[in-house]
Amino acid sequence: MRGKLTRRRFLATTAASTALIAMPYVRGSHAAGRLSIVLWDHWVPGANNTSKMLVEEWAAREKVEVQIDYVNNQGNKLLLTTGAEAQAQSGHDVIALATWLPSDHANQLEPVDDIMEPLIKQNGALNATVEYLGKSQGHWIAVPATIGSQIKGPCSRIDLMKQYAGIDVQAMYPAGAPPKAENWTLEAFLKAAEACHKGGFPFGIGLGTTADSVDTAGAIFHSFGATLVDAKGNITVKSDPVRQALEYYTKLAKFFPPDAPAWDDASNNKWLISGRGALIMNPPSAWAVAKRDAPQVAEQCWTHGMAAGPKGRFAPFIPYFWGIWSFGKNKEAAKSLLVHLSQPAAVEKLVAASGGYDLPSFANLTTFKTWAEEGPPKGTLYHYPNPYNHQILSIAGAPAPPKIAVQIYIQGVMTKMTVRHLQGEPMERTLAWAENEVEGFLRT
Amino acid sequence: MAVGGPSKSHGIAKRRAMADAVIGHVTDAGRARRRRFGLRSAMRRKSMTAFLMTSPLIVLIALLVVYPAVYSVNLATLNRSMEHFVGFGNFLFLFNRETFWMVVRQSCIFALTAVLFKAIFGFVVAHFVHNIPAKGQRKWRGMLLVPWVIPPAMSCLAWLWLFDPSYSAFNWVFEKFGIGPIPWTGDAMWARFSVILVNVWIGAPFFMIMYLAALKSVPEQLFEAAAVDGANFWQRTWYVTLPMMRNIIAITALFSLIVTFANFDIVRILTAGGPIDLTHVFATWAFRVGIEVGDIPLGASVSLFMVPILTVAAILILRDINRRGNEA
Amino acid sequence: MTAIATAASAGGSTRGARRRSMSRDRRWALRWSYFFLTLFAIFFLLPPVYMLITSLKTSAEVSAATNPWWVYNPTLANYAELLSSSQFLTYFRNSAVVSTIVVAVTMLISVPAAFALSRMKFWGSTTLATGVFLTYLIPETLLFIPLFKMFAVFGDATGIQLINRWWVLLLVYPTLTVPFCTWVMIGYFASIPRELDEAALIDGANYRQVLTRVFIPVALPGLIAATIFAFTVSWAQFLYPLAFTTSTDQLVLPVGIITSLIKGDVFNWGQIMTGALLGAAPPLLIYAFLMDYYIAGLTAGATKG
Repeated sequence: MRGKLTRRRFLATTAASTALIAMPYVRGSHAAGRLSIVLWDHWVPGANNTSKMLVEEWAAREKVEVQIDYVNNQGNKLLLTTGAEAQAQSGHDVIALATWLPSDHANQLEPVDDIMEPLIKQNGALNATVEYLGKSQGHWIAVPATIGSQIKGPCSRIDLMKQYAGIDVQAMYPAGAPPKAENWTLEAFLKAAEACHKGGFPFGIGLGTTADSVDTAGAIFHSFGATLVDAKGNITVKSDPVRQALEYYTKLAKFFPPDAPAWDDASNNKWLISGRGALIMNPPSAWAVAKRDAPQVAEQCWTHGMAAGPKGRFAPFIPYFWGIWSFGKNKEAAKSLLVHLSQPAAVEKLVAASGGYDLPSFANLTTFKTWAEEGPPKGTLYHYPNPYNHQILSIAGAPAPPKIAVQIYIQGVMTKMTVRHLQGEPMERTLAWAENEVEGFLRT
Repeated sequence: MAVGGPSKSHGIAKRRAMADAVIGHVTDAGRARRRRFGLRSAMRRKSMTAFLMTSPLIVLIALLVVYPAVYSVNLATLNRSMEHFVGFGNFLFLFNRETFWMVVRQSCIFALTAVLFKAIFGFVVAHFVHNIPAKGQRKWRGMLLVPWVIPPAMSCLAWLWLFDPSYSAFNWVFEKFGIGPIPWTGDAMWARFSVILVNVWIGAPFFMIMYLAALKSVPEQLFEAAAVDGANFWQRTWYVTLPMMRNIIAITALFSLIVTFANFDIVRILTAGGPIDLTHVFATWAFRVGIEVGDIPLGASVSLFMVPILTVAAILILRDINRRGNEA
Repeated sequence: MTAIATAASAGGSTRGARRRSMSRDRRWALRWSYFFLTLFAIFFLLPPVYMLITSLKTSAEVSAATNPWWVYNPTLANYAELLSSSQFLTYFRNSAVVSTIVVAVTMLISVPAAFALSRMKFWGSTTLATGVFLTYLIPETLLFIPLFKMFAVFGDATGIQLINRWWVLLLVYPTLTVPFCTWVMIGYFASIPRELDEAALIDGANYRQVLTRVFIPVALPGLIAATIFAFTVSWAQFLYPLAFTTSTDQLVLPVGIITSLIKGDVFNWGQIMTGALLGAAPPLLIYAFLMDYYIAGLTAGATKG
């Protein structure tokens, strides 16, 4: 039996309490319906329990029967589930959506402007990347999720960087204080990569087509202001910024491990944990596993910001979202749940449960205790959530229209360009190939 | 063939004896008369029974294979957002893409090379197993068939770990001999090698079993006759073994060609098509283009492109089966 | 190789006066055979052995990159964890139930169909036999999206939930097992002498009785082989269950292992290899006990007509 809460009454309640948002979905004792949701399956042991507890807390209060399915993206499971449910117009009510999935299924997602606006007022602004990915035609179609969102910035070995590159990352990004990183430029990055490579501990950055590799390439390209397709959908492959970016990244790639073109998302983790590398671009999952399996490596790890290029300091940001299917049967309840999960108290619990891995996208939520206190070494995650906002959070492929950008991303065009040029193809031929590929992406 | 002679008459006598044993002794004339009678009455019920017996099969195939396949063909004629009909537009689009032709080439080379090596391995191992005394054969056969019995998804995980860039157990051994770390999945040529290697590892036992059975069915007299005529091993293989096994070799190879061509799991788990798409085959590229990127009609088109190639192979198999049936 | 040649040419028969040199050549041939067979056996058995070795290691030992071919601190912790995890046992149970039922369904469909196709020459029987074989040409990756949509529509229309339920696999797995099993059974049935069934028909048996009283007993090895094949294929399925089942309690083993032991970019290799080995165990065990039937079934078409 479903509650008789109408949309108007819901909105009225919303407007009435912008400061504190507690969404009573239904008053009364009759059963309030069912809700089935998909949450991202967390790799941190026990983190799922926290999300489950938060959802059940809400469910008990609102007297809704909730069924949670935890799905991760192994074997593209989340992708398949989303695609199939969208095709069949049947499935769960609320679904976790990885980065590009909101724009992929924009016309099947329920607009959530009505809950996003109060949330932004309460929690702070959202960065441009989240807007780019979570909005379609000016409307919010998904709520940024804490669970699963991450920044894939540098995670370095303090000792190796000091010894071979002469860089003290802890001084550059001190725990508890603003970064002193004016000299942390792409040139310095290149020099450090070369030095560490000579010393036998190369930077572990992949050149494959999985997200870790593509994200780094994307940040580098953005640092030069290079885009393959601009916001209007024009192809800008054969432009100077792209040439500069490709030139730089190819130079850098010479110092990567020889099989980097085949790296998947776990390769850089293994590179760090086995002690073979001085730097990887990854969220703290690698460090967390090292804590358990290779403590002597873990206590030398430090997560910090990205190097700056000519057009700015860009770090790869990968947000996850929660979306509500427009064919869902209990949308009001779904919205209430998402608001509940986005409350600062709830967010703090989720961050703590994930050991600091999960990143809320709202501006006011980047200074929780967890990041300051995680260790050893203490403070290793302090600069992970970009608390001083000194880097621009970006996603590879932006600002192209999302339907084109997602193809650039999934097909790994930028890393493939780098590999081709690295293996000897002349730059103009590489650019011609890339242009041909991107032309294919313009299909409607 | 002269060989068929003696065994055929022997077979007929055996069958007659079996028939007699089953139904008791009847005179020849009586049997002939009653055969015509019995069959005619059976004929009336025949089509009904036949229909009933095959209807579950027909329903299963029609509903769960043919209908979705037709739907996929329909999908392949739509545009990306699945709103308009574009006829052959998707196929024409594919023909213009460099990556598509690369995938075609790679799929063909992969399938042909893998099947060739599987056949060679299978043939060689079958000979060795055939050589050893009969009671030992069972044990060896058992051990050698293991790769085919393990679920491929599980064994690919093991291979993935064996090929791991940082932790490869093979590289660890090679390092002891001074051979540098081999980028099993990192370098294009090595990646192709690895994928073919795993495919051969999984598939060769099947070939071995089939060839072994066929070897056993080649009468000893042939080999002895050839030996008496002074043939050495290679001549015997060329003139006796291969011709006798020709149909089995063809059928097994073609069947494996079809299955290998459409292979998804091995490439997907080991290399996901990389590096730079140099190990993509049809199934994995269709998956990437259709599902991961979200262009379902294009993915369907890529998958459908396999069908003509596979149909040709299938027709060849069936022709061979019929030929074998006629010859036997 | 010439040693083998001359020895093999004298091969199975020990007639002739060259007995002494034959046995010496034969011994050499045997030694070479065993030598190469050992090499091949090593090649074929390497990965499963490696799976076993890794499954006995703790995560720390795996990461430490010590000798990968030896376990320094063997532990059964991985096995204990998996076998006591209710999730894993659920996966196992789901796989077992689905595979067993699919085998039964497959046999119920393919045996009568094979009988009809091989014995009763009715209109369209050759086309149908060819068509059955041709279903192999249609890849899974092409079919699963339309199937998903069909199941969703069915679920909405009848209220019977098919999506995300393990029993939907009972519908799709037979499409993979029935064609091959039918083909194998046709091969077996075709080799049974016609006199047998014609005689039974004369005696007044109808077709059903011919099938159950005459054919099935005679073709029992083929039946067992087809059963084993159907079981192995069902157990090993990956794409269909990945696409059609989502909730943890509905997953089957291959999907369950991969999605629950590999999370994000964190691979737990010790447990993964344990899970993979446990996942491969049932087909391996069945194969070990019923090996002869298995092999006989596979080769049914090879030697018989």
